[in-house]
Amino acid sequence: MTDTKTWARVKSPWVLHFNSGACNGCDIEIVALLTPKYDVERFGVKLEPSPRHADVLLVTGCVTQQCAERLKRVYDQMPQPKFVVAIGACACSGGVFEGNYNVLGGVDKVIPVTAYIPGCPPRPEAILDGVVKLLNALNPPKPKKQPKQPETPKQEPAKLEAAVAHEAKPIIEEAK
Amino acid sequence: MSNNKIDILKIVESKLGSKVQIQPGYLSTGTIITQNGLHRDVLKAMIDAEEKTGITAITGLDLGENLGVYYHVHADKSFVTIKAEVPKTNPKIQTIIDLHPGAVFHELEVADLLGVQFEGHPISGHFVLSENWPDGVYPLRKDVKAAEVKLVPTPPSEEIKLPENERLVKIIIGPQHPALLEPEKFAVTVEGETVTKVEPRIGYVHRGIEKATESHTYLQDTYLVERICGICNAVHACVFVEAVEKIAKTEVPERAKYLRVIAIELNRLHSHLLTLGHAGLEIGYETLFQYFWRDREPIMDLIELTSGNRVYSSLMTVGGVRRDIRGTDIPKIKSVLKTLRGQLPFYRQIYENEPTLKLRMKNVGVLSREDALKLSVVGPVARASGVDIDVRKDEPHDAYGEIPFKEIVYTSGDTWGRMNVRMDEVEESINIIEYALDHLPSGPFRIPAPRSVPVGEAVARIEAPRGELFYYVRSNGTDKPDRVKVRTPTFANIPSFLKTAIGESIADVPANFVSLDPCFSCTDR
Repeated sequence: MTDTKTWARVKSPWVLHFNSGACNGCDIEIVALLTPKYDVERFGVKLEPSPRHADVLLVTGCVTQQCAERLKRVYDQMPQPKFVVAIGACACSGGVFEGNYNVLGGVDKVIPVTAYIPGCPPRPEAILDGVVKLLNALNPPKPKKQPKQPETPKQEPAKLEAAVAHEAKPIIEEAK
Repeated sequence: MSNNKIDILKIVESKLGSKVQIQPGYLSTGTIITQNGLHRDVLKAMIDAEEKTGITAITGLDLGENLGVYYHVHADKSFVTIKAEVPKTNPKIQTIIDLHPGAVFHELEVADLLGVQFEGHPISGHFVLSENWPDGVYPLRKDVKAAEVKLVPTPPSEEIKLPENERLVKIIIGPQHPALLEPEKFAVTVEGETVTKVEPRIGYVHRGIEKATESHTYLQDTYLVERICGICNAVHACVFVEAVEKIAKTEVPERAKYLRVIAIELNRLHSHLLTLGHAGLEIGYETLFQYFWRDREPIMDLIELTSGNRVYSSLMTVGGVRRDIRGTDIPKIKSVLKTLRGQLPFYRQIYENEPTLKLRMKNVGVLSREDALKLSVVGPVARASGVDIDVRKDEPHDAYGEIPFKEIVYTSGDTWGRMNVRMDEVEESINIIEYALDHLPSGPFRIPAPRSVPVGEAVARIEAPRGELFYYVRSNGTDKPDRVKVRTPTFANIPSFLKTAIGESIADVPANFVSLDPCFSCTDR
């Protein structure tokens, strides 16, 4: 049953987009992902309008005072297990707006973040790569299927480390 | 054009005489220095003299003992700044919204960020700052340090005032809403399906960029102001460096002027294609959205080709541009533009003949010419209501004075008209880029500029994709600006939505709203 759930989650992640005070750069790139050139729907990724149906929360922006509380509320409404992807330099650390009077700086100041995608803004390919890495982390290869290669399971943890932040480890374990 | 410029100042002089001090030619057309109270008389004289008079922006400044309130007024092809000052101890000034209703938002912003009290203004409370911002602390005053502000606890719950009439229902749209890409809140009161009232709450994207510019150098600020908006970024950077160049009296090389025009028009192309598609999405015509965004991608590739980056071009710098266009790239750019031009008849035919689209857009959100002038809307919104305002024609900057192009004006004033203005402007933008590429002057594309800028102030205006973008920059002689004021086109256009939505169906709200091409990261800054 767990296998089926993981399979469903990896093959069809529903994402919710939340703008916490971004400049539209990252947001437009997320929308560009859905359009013919990149077309993430072919991987089963669907942009979902309601937090209650979403698996992955894509957050852009430097988290302004007004948005912080709303971001937390949206996160709380999502069902478990849930994953947060911080997209863009602002969402990762506050970016150029770090230290401004109305800016908290970084999504991880408010909610736990699973993956960080830096860039100002990250290219659509980079966002896609980040989401795919996150999904790979959800579905680690089973040891019994690779009995002949006991020395090479390093590949997956390396990928995992690249995409997944240390704070978020409990969430990943929960998903397993 | 020059006759017109002299006129407006002469009219003010003949009406008010020696009561005000007039400086012709300073800050665009001229500056009028007034004492407390007389700014209303000057504005009234201007409105009586010229019907196309509107408030572009109100800049609030901390001048030490006093607070400056500068009214930037456009009157057809003239641009006048009316200066007034109020003491910090008693910062009261009379409102101008009875003379010009378009100033409502401008006054609210200055009141929120600088603590100027506009006597007679009906609305109070925070406008862009959050609910937990302490009273009596005004972030744009020089003595306020960002790190020292102590926030107060958020009020327990946002009080949602229910309408007194039981037949009315209040629908809250936002801050997180599928139809909005950005977090903003609109409380729409409906009776049955008819909208009776719209109350906006902006400020969710307020990042305090105007304050941040004061602690960065001019070079850093060029990239900071670019990040006000991820869509019309090149325009933001360009208008900022042009204001700085005016203070420093830097003469930009001819080639740089053409390269700037190309960057601005590429911005306009991708922004218009984005909106034309987004409008399709809002009326449930997703195929149209996908088509437009498919054709937008080659333009993004052109931006990358000419600037090195898909979104943030970082092309503008004081004294010119940072990158030249390679001769080998020009045929590539032209071929992409040719392909896009070939697609346009198809899109135009959809906008003209598609019955579903006409049903959802024709006669929806009609803004009359009188209202457009009263609310001083800008850009495609104004041009769709028959107001021929275009900074590229009214006060040509860069190479726009040398490039022939048509100013697109529609008179229907509805959502359909606003989208068609953009549709025609896409073609004009292609013409402008092709002309600029064919007539690209030789020579340097940038000249070295000093890091410090002499004491002074300047205003600069550029026609951004959404309308007139205005910057006021004040220098104190160091390498950091004293004040940077940004008035973005969406900030000027939102009052028109509050007007046109009333009396229409709730189902028409999204399409009507998107026809303004709203950009809240610009609005809130």
